[in-house]
Amino acid sequence: MSECPVCGAQVEITADAVVGELLECGDCASELEIVGLEPTVLAEAPETEEDWGQ
Amino acid sequence: MKVGFLHSLIRKDEKLLIDEFRKRDDIDLVLIDDRKLTFDLNDKPDVDVVLERSINHSRAMHGLCLFESVGVRCINSYEVSRICGDKILTSVALKQNSVPQPEVRIAFTEESALQAIEELGYPAVLKPAVGSWGRLLSKVNDRDAAETVLEHKTILGSYHHSIFYVQKYVKKNGRDIRSFVVGDECIAAIYRTSDHWITNTARGAVATGCPVTNEIAEISLNATKAVGGGIVAVDLFESEQGLLVNEVNYTMEFKNSIDTSGVNIPEKIASHVIAVMRT
Repeated sequence: MSECPVCGAQVEITADAVVGELLECGDCASELEIVGLEPTVLAEAPETEEDWGQ
Repeated sequence: MKVGFLHSLIRKDEKLLIDEFRKRDDIDLVLIDDRKLTFDLNDKPDVDVVLERSINHSRAMHGLCLFESVGVRCINSYEVSRICGDKILTSVALKQNSVPQPEVRIAFTEESALQAIEELGYPAVLKPAVGSWGRLLSKVNDRDAAETVLEHKTILGSYHHSIFYVQKYVKKNGRDIRSFVVGDECIAAIYRTSDHWITNTARGAVATGCPVTNEIAEISLNATKAVGGGIVAVDLFESEQGLLVNEVNYTMEFKNSIDTSGVNIPEKIASHVIAVMRT
């Protein structure tokens, strides 16, 4: 488990998590990014940029 | 053998692909975060192939150019990313290969763009040459709307919004088709249905299963060949003239299409990448 940087709720981190992975906080629905493992660090996911996606 | 996995954010699509590669005992997956990458033009990274999964088109295209410049085979290729990432280049490639598409006009000034729209007739659709997820698409229904949108794009847009890509509006009865091509096979297709004229799932369209007919497979494979081959998703309109290719996407998103189509798309992609690497 790791703390949501937006609302402070506990967010489950799976055993196969990777840095850069996107998650959604179950409490506040914020989109989060795993920016570090061991220890797990979460940050708000970046805003959509103009050349994102397909 | 080492598969380089060029990425930025790891969305569900990328996670599914990572899981798929990690099932293969003989594959060493090397994650390459484009946000942390520094590229030395004289240094070949220690990978046998790169699968591109960056979320930014600009980083993906230039990353592929850099990896190919030092002799690393990439999927998709830089050339495919260059063509598919730009609707103008895609339309040219489709035209050169006689692949049917909606009628388009390209113009470089507000005045000539208005002329182009009026040549096509109303409604017409203005699209950014580079863009995705249905963002900044404008359906202009009359001259007043056309003048307004063109003025806004000219004054408020960055420089590439002053290159106008105009497409004839196609009545598509509330849905389009997205087909998925991996190598020489059209592996799956979905319908994307919406009450809105924009039918991207990113804009709320609902995905349902679509059988891969011979017609869908043929036009999808022809479109893929036209842009240079590889792993792509092809957006198709069902028009009165038959199927038309709307767009070809080179970093295809598929997470909502696996259950819908019943096809293990990440498995197909991983197997293709490994097969290409071994040729």
